Amino acid sequence: MLNKIWLALVVTGILTAAGRDIYEAATNAYGNGVAWRLEPDELSAVAGPGRYQMNLSFSEAQVREHFPHAAEPRGAAILPATITMHDAARGSVVLQLDDKAPAVFTTVGVAQGAKGTLSGQLAVTQSGADRICMLTFEPVHFVYLKRVTNAAFEAAGTAVQIAIGLIGIMALWLGVMKVAEEAGLIALLARAVRPITVRLFPDIPHDHPAVGAMLMNISANMLGLGNAATPFGLKAMEELNKVNPRAGTASNAMVTFLAMNTSCITLIPATAIAVRVAAGSANPAAIIGTTFLASLTATIVGVTTAKLLQRLRWYRLDDAEAQS
Amino acid sequence: MTAFRDIVGILSALAIPALMLFFLVYGAMKKVKVYEAAVEGAKEGFGVAVKIIPYLVLMLVAIAVFRASGALDVLIAVLRPVTTLIGFPPEALPMAFMRPLSGSGSLGVMTETMKVHGPDSFIGMLVSTLYGSTETTFYVLAVYFGSVGIKNTRHALPTV
Repeated sequence: MLNKIWLALVVTGILTAAGRDIYEAATNAYGNGVAWRLEPDELSAVAGPGRYQMNLSFSEAQVREHFPHAAEPRGAAILPATITMHDAARGSVVLQLDDKAPAVFTTVGVAQGAKGTLSGQLAVTQSGADRICMLTFEPVHFVYLKRVTNAAFEAAGTAVQIAIGLIGIMALWLGVMKVAEEAGLIALLARAVRPITVRLFPDIPHDHPAVGAMLMNISANMLGLGNAATPFGLKAMEELNKVNPRAGTASNAMVTFLAMNTSCITLIPATAIAVRVAAGSANPAAIIGTTFLASLTATIVGVTTAKLLQRLRWYRLDDAEAQS
Repeated sequence: MTAFRDIVGILSALAIPALMLFFLVYGAMKKVKVYEAAVEGAKEGFGVAVKIIPYLVLMLVAIAVFRASGALDVLIAVLRPVTTLIGFPPEALPMAFMRPLSGSGSLGVMTETMKVHGPDSFIGMLVSTLYGSTETTFYVLAVYFGSVGIKNTRHALPTV
């Protein structure tokens, strides 16, 4: 049931994030308070208070030593830096991060609260003839919990954007479909697939508009027309709900339809092919056959499972259950 | 195979315009007031889209929290020995788990995996087949059931 799955996703997410944060705090995975020794030659221009621009380099060995337990890939980096010296000995450093910077730098930067930069404190001391330049990054805490918080807010916004975007496409397709419905075309289509639908959906009247909507949804999915499929699918659910005697409880037909929809036989995996083209594949369409077989198998397994499970005592619809 | 590919390519390009043309012309021939009927149907679109917002928000937030926490890495580490036993390459496991949860997430995983292993390697073929052959199941369940107010989803998502 969605209640349990939903709860499990949220609770596992938050607990895992907290656990990882505790582990990383215990091992100091992000090297809080640990200083980097910078190459003094690179900082030869830095003398006295003021603002300086230069490149700072971090060797791979240094990065590995500094972040011994971080999960992200670690490599060498040369990063443009802005150094602001407050006096001869102390200053602050802001590193500019680009795509090539090691992922662990980006993680620390984001956890510090700034996207694309990494900040720290610089201490310059003179030891005899040697100049020692030590850089300490601003400490970071709760990297994963912060990520979880940001992701939750971002997803809430994205969800509304998806729904708003759906309004237009829904309106367009439901409009076109209404014309076909009034012309009697949907009923005609439903009659054409009647031999199949009477077996798959014995509970719904064979010429019901739900059949037409389901047919349109499955056909759109087969051709990889994702954004035409959703309006027909939602329309199908609405029609199926009209012949559902138990409000709030899924009917056998709904579950069978969703099993077909989510596993849907795919003739053209359009997005996957497009990504393969972009990745420089020699034969981007080679997955048409494998995808067809995989989705055919999934549909057979899905529909069979739906048909078997609906007979189980646990899921069976009987009048006693409907009353309780 | 090439002929089949050409046919499906043409089909997917022509499907939507042909469908619209056919529906509307057929409607006009049957003396349906096409514009008025279309407007009548389109009015429903707004209601359905607004109605699914709460379901969509809560489901996507839960999935986002799960993804951002790195719980998937833990799950993969646990299941790795089992899937290796049946010859399923562990490199493709992130895809197998991400696909039912998130469309954009699995698109990212597919792109990344193909960048590392090459699109024509076995792993590259496997992840693109995984991507192409299924839907974002949890999103579909939440939205489709939500749109008609189904609370008891029965065997659509069997849990213990």
